[in-house]
This record gives sequence, C-alpha cells and structure tokens, in this order.
Amino acid sequence: MKMTRWTKRAALLMAAVMAMSGLQGCGGSSDGSAGNDGGQAEAGGDRSDAGQAEAGAAGDGAGAGQTDAGDSGKDKAKDKKGAGELNIYTWAEYVPQDIIDRFEEETGIRVNYTNFEANEEMLAKLETSGGGEYDIVIASDYIIKIAADEGLVMEIDKEKVPNYTNIDPIFQDFFYDPENTLTVPYGPGIPLLVYDPSVVTCDITGYESLWDPSLQDSVALMDSERVVMGMALKTMGQSFNTEDLDVIRAAGDKLMELAPNVRVLSQNQTQDFLLSGEVGAAFLFTSQVVLALNQDPDLKVVYPEEGLGFGVDAAFIPSQAPNSDNAHAFLNFILDGEVGAEVSQQTYYLCPNKASYEYLPEEFQKSLVISADDIPNGEFIQDVGAEATSLHEEIWTEFKAALD
Amino acid sequence: MGKSMKKDKRKGAGKDGRWWMTVAPLYLFTIFFVALPLLYLFVLSFLTRAQTWGVVNEFTLENYLKIGKPVYLNTFKESFQLAVLTTVSTLAIGYPFGYFMARLSRRAKSLMMLLVVIPFWTSALMRMYGWIIIFRSNGILDKVLMALGLIHSPLKLLYSYPAVLVGMVYSLLPFMILSVYSSTDKMDWSLVEAARDLGASRWTAFWTITVKMTLPGIMSGIVLVFIPSMGLFFIADILGGGKVMLVGNLIQAQLQSGRDWPFAAALSVMLMLFTSVMIWIYRKVAGVRELEGLL
Repeated sequence: MKMTRWTKRAALLMAAVMAMSGLQGCGGSSDGSAGNDGGQAEAGGDRSDAGQAEAGAAGDGAGAGQTDAGDSGKDKAKDKKGAGELNIYTWAEYVPQDIIDRFEEETGIRVNYTNFEANEEMLAKLETSGGGEYDIVIASDYIIKIAADEGLVMEIDKEKVPNYTNIDPIFQDFFYDPENTLTVPYGPGIPLLVYDPSVVTCDITGYESLWDPSLQDSVALMDSERVVMGMALKTMGQSFNTEDLDVIRAAGDKLMELAPNVRVLSQNQTQDFLLSGEVGAAFLFTSQVVLALNQDPDLKVVYPEEGLGFGVDAAFIPSQAPNSDNAHAFLNFILDGEVGAEVSQQTYYLCPNKASYEYLPEEFQKSLVISADDIPNGEFIQDVGAEATSLHEEIWTEFKAALD
Repeated sequence: MGKSMKKDKRKGAGKDGRWWMTVAPLYLFTIFFVALPLLYLFVLSFLTRAQTWGVVNEFTLENYLKIGKPVYLNTFKESFQLAVLTTVSTLAIGYPFGYFMARLSRRAKSLMMLLVVIPFWTSALMRMYGWIIIFRSNGILDKVLMALGLIHSPLKLLYSYPAVLVGMVYSLLPFMILSVYSSTDKMDWSLVEAARDLGASRWTAFWTITVKMTLPGIMSGIVLVFIPSMGLFFIADILGGGKVMLVGNLIQAQLQSGRDWPFAAALSVMLMLFTSVMIWIYRKVAGVRELEGLL
C-alpha cells in the first residue's frame, strides 16, 4: 500500500513537471521575439527582421533554419562520411537561405544550420562541447571576446581564405580581435534614433531629446539594459563601459526620469511600433532603421550628438571545429564581393566587405555603406566587471518596475 | 489505479519481483530530469559568479542576501500579485464554466471539451500575438469601440499591466476549467437532491454540498494556475512590452545578459520554496489532502 502512495506522488510530481515544462517550452520559444538581447549595442536580437524581409522577397517562410536542420539531419544519415559537412551556429535566418543553397551547390558541402536565441546560450553550448561540434559561429563582439579569452576560437588560416583581404580595414582592429586573426566581420551596425516628424513636436538631436516631456508614453527602446543605460551614460558624457559605480548609479537615477516616456521595450521588429503609430520615436538597430526607412521614407534618422554606439557580429571558427577546412571555405565564400553584397542586402547590416560595394544597388549604397565615416566615433559596449554588471541589472530591474 | 494494482497482485505479478520494471522508467525519469537538476540548481545557488563568464567554486550566501534587496523583493511581490489576480480571475470564470460544462449532455460535453482543448494545438506564442492584434492602437478592439462611438481616440491598451493579466488568464483558464469540470462531473448529484428535499435553499445546497464536493478540483485548478503564473515570463514580455518585470523575467535576465547564474539559481530556489509554501497553505486551509482533477 505504501507503494501505491509513493507511485501516486511520483505521478503527481511528474504530471506537474510536465505541465509546467509545457508552459516553459512556450516561454523558451518566445525568447526569439521577446528577449533576444545580449546587453549589446548593435548586435542582438533583431534577426527576425531580416528573416521576415527575406521571407517576403524570396518566398522562403519562417523557420527556414529549422527545416534546414531537419533536412540535413536526414542527409547526414545518408552520407555517413561527414567530411562534406559544415555546421553553422547562429541566430535563426541570419545567414540567408539562398546564400546557404549557393554555397552547397558550389562546394558540394552539406550545411547544417543550428540557431540560438542569445549570445550567452551560444557560449554556454560552445563551452560544453569544448569548442567542438560547430564549424562556424556568428555572434556578437563582446561574447567573441569572452570565447577567445576562454580559448574557444581557432585562428583563421588566411592561406585558405584568399578573400580575407576584401574586408574593409575600418571594420578591423577591434577589441575582440586586435590582431585580426580570429574573426570575419559579418553584420556591423550603429544603433540610431528614428522618429516620425508628423507626430513628434520636439526637436530630436540626441539621446537627451528622449527625455523631453512632450514624448510621454511614445518612445520605443531596446530591451537591453546596457544599451538603454548606455544612452543615459552618454547624456552625462560618460563611456558605455564605465566601471565607476557612482557614475552608473547617477545614470540610473537619470534613467528613472525617462520611465514616463517609455511606451515599449523590445528587441525584435521594434520599427513596427514606429510604423504603426504606437510610438513617435524609437532607438533602433541598423537593420531596423533600414527596414523602417524602406517602408516609410518620411521618417527622420538622427545620429545622436552625444556619441554613437557600435557593434559587430562576426564569424569565427571554434577551436575544435570538426570540419575546419569547410569552415575556411565558407568564410572565403561569404567574403566574395558578390556574395557579401547579397548577404548585406538581405540582413540589412552595414557591409564590411569592400569588394562588395560595387555590387550594392544605389539605395543600399546609401544605407549600408554611408555610416562608415562614423565608425571611428562609435563606441562598443564591452563587458564590465561583475560588480558593475550586477549594478546594471539592479537598476534595470528597478527601471522596469517604474515602467508598469 | 488502485484497481489495477489489486489485479496485479491477484495475478501474482508481485511474486516474481519484476513489478519494479513497470515503475522504473518513472523513477529514472524523476531522478534524472527532476531530482538531479534540482540538486544542481541548489548547489549552484551557493556558488560565486566569475568576473566575466561562468561560476567559481566558492561558497557564498551572497546570492540569497541579494534577494533581500527591495528592488528584487519587489519583483516577487509583483509576481505574487499577478499570480493571485490571475488565479482569482480564472476561478471566477473557470468555476461556472466547468460546473455548467459538467451538466451538459454527453455529446455537448465532449464538444465543449474539444473546444477548450483546441487552443492548445496552436503555439502559445501565436495566441499571444493574436491578443496583440486585438489590443494594439487602432487594432480590432479600438476599431470596434470607436465604431460603436464608445471611445473617440485609440486606447493604449497594449503593453500595460491589464494586457498582461488578460494574457495570463487566457492562457491558464483551461487548467481551471478542466479541473473543476472533472470533479463536478464525478459528483453524486443525489446529495444535492437530498439537501434540497430536506429543505436547503438552492444556495445553501450549492455552498454546503457542491462547493465542498468540488473542492479538490478547485484546489488542483488553483495550484495548476498559480504555480505557472508565478513563473511565466513570456506573456509579460510580449503583452507587457518588456515593461513588466516578474520573477521569471528576472531569472531569465540573470541567466542571459546578467550572466549571474548563481543568483538566477538562488532566485529559482526561492521561487520554488515560495510556491511550495503556497501549496502547503492552500491544502491546510482547504483541508484537502489529495489533489484531484487533472492531477
């Protein structure tokens, strides 16, 4: 009889766990749209924008990455050699499907595309596999820095990547790869302010303008504490990456005053809030800026006068990549002028490939190449120490409590 | 369940000592996917975060002390408030629903059951986006209300606390309905008839008989709604526009951008403790020993 009770209890526990994991599962899948952040200036969670736009253009529905993974799983079973494979690990749909198709066609290498929701998720997995399992990872600058420090990044053999010289030098010599030996820039960008002049009555010149009382309940920001705190820090003439706790606290106080103006915090499709009239002004990733302007050319773009943020998503080869030769072939492929132009046009990020500029149509020449002059002024959001990070988190929690 | 156990015994399945094979998968599952992860979580909550990435094997109570900060206590308070509001609302809607559903004809019952379950066939995320379409400025609701002349400018309904509450109630309501339904369905209606015959008013009969008899169903409904609503974070993110910070959101933030896994673990442990205590209180208050219904 004791048995029965125990079995019952175990069954009860299991049912509860399963019910909850069902719900949690939904939570997990929502990440992509809800909080793909990364505490990062530019790189972050807005891949689905590119994905959507692409879907419109190429008729290639959402979840392309997944179906792809499924297919290649089957193929894997067929072709046991495994020599002709390439495992790409990045955000969903960040590498356009037609680029993958073309690579497969030209090289005969099968691509397995796996996607993650957040940079941190990627690093955790990479660490578990000891830098193996994947051949190409595309992620954000600050996380690459950590991965490199942990010894999880393989040096690129430039002999195998003749197109490496196509990289525009203004997209090199960055903190995460000072010697330019580890990475290939893939999606660089500068977050900008965009506003609808038909709704906004005040003059928007920089971050400070967002504090204007006339913008009450009509500003959309990124759901990322470092980016939003970065705006407050810049209005005080401070660096994004200050570790001075008093300065961070002061910026936090200033941030609280912004609360009444914030209508929504979002990582994905933030431009839609602007286009639908939900908000009057928004702080957007490069891809979102381009998409917003494509749909409504009357929107005004502002390069914040206090200073720009800058971020790069770059591709690297994990230290124990099972197919490193194929990985090199892939890097060489995306660095091809024509292919690179195609990638930038579909991801809506700045084009880091100088051989691609001539292939870019005129309207993209403007939007994807133009801001190159501003890069020297842009500041990366980098990792700060544990104490500063905790303080940022605390302020962010407080800020959110002030919002609802 | 009891019946089949008895049957097994009669057949002598217990004698050859192989009965454990039937329950082994359950125990293994529980050990590997419930007990061990929980243990890991518990241990992790006492470790120290590393400067940039990962954890250091250094014992500390810091993570738990940090939860005591007003800003973090506040998220617990917010989550609790929302969970209580959600539970009360689902009970208010779900009880009558489940009650009347159980009194329908057999065909109508199975049809209703199907209708209650159908939304589960769609991803919860998709259904939340449905609410966005209804709530957003110049969305369906605004248009209808404006056409009726009830309002003149768009309401800013989306990205607010009420929107989150609606989303929570909507997604958890089926758990309440099904729990109440299953206990009402099993009820012996002759007891109510007897009470009425003995002169009890409709209300007294309902209150003293029906509510008491369906209490296990109500309790399991409450537990099934309350626990997830303490932890759900994606609804707050989507319908609250990232502006509502619940414990679930906080844990997620600590795991990702905060990269403070031990703190996230400590928060999770506290959350579990908290919900366990709540369940204990429910059972104490209601005097229900076994939860019924879906469980």
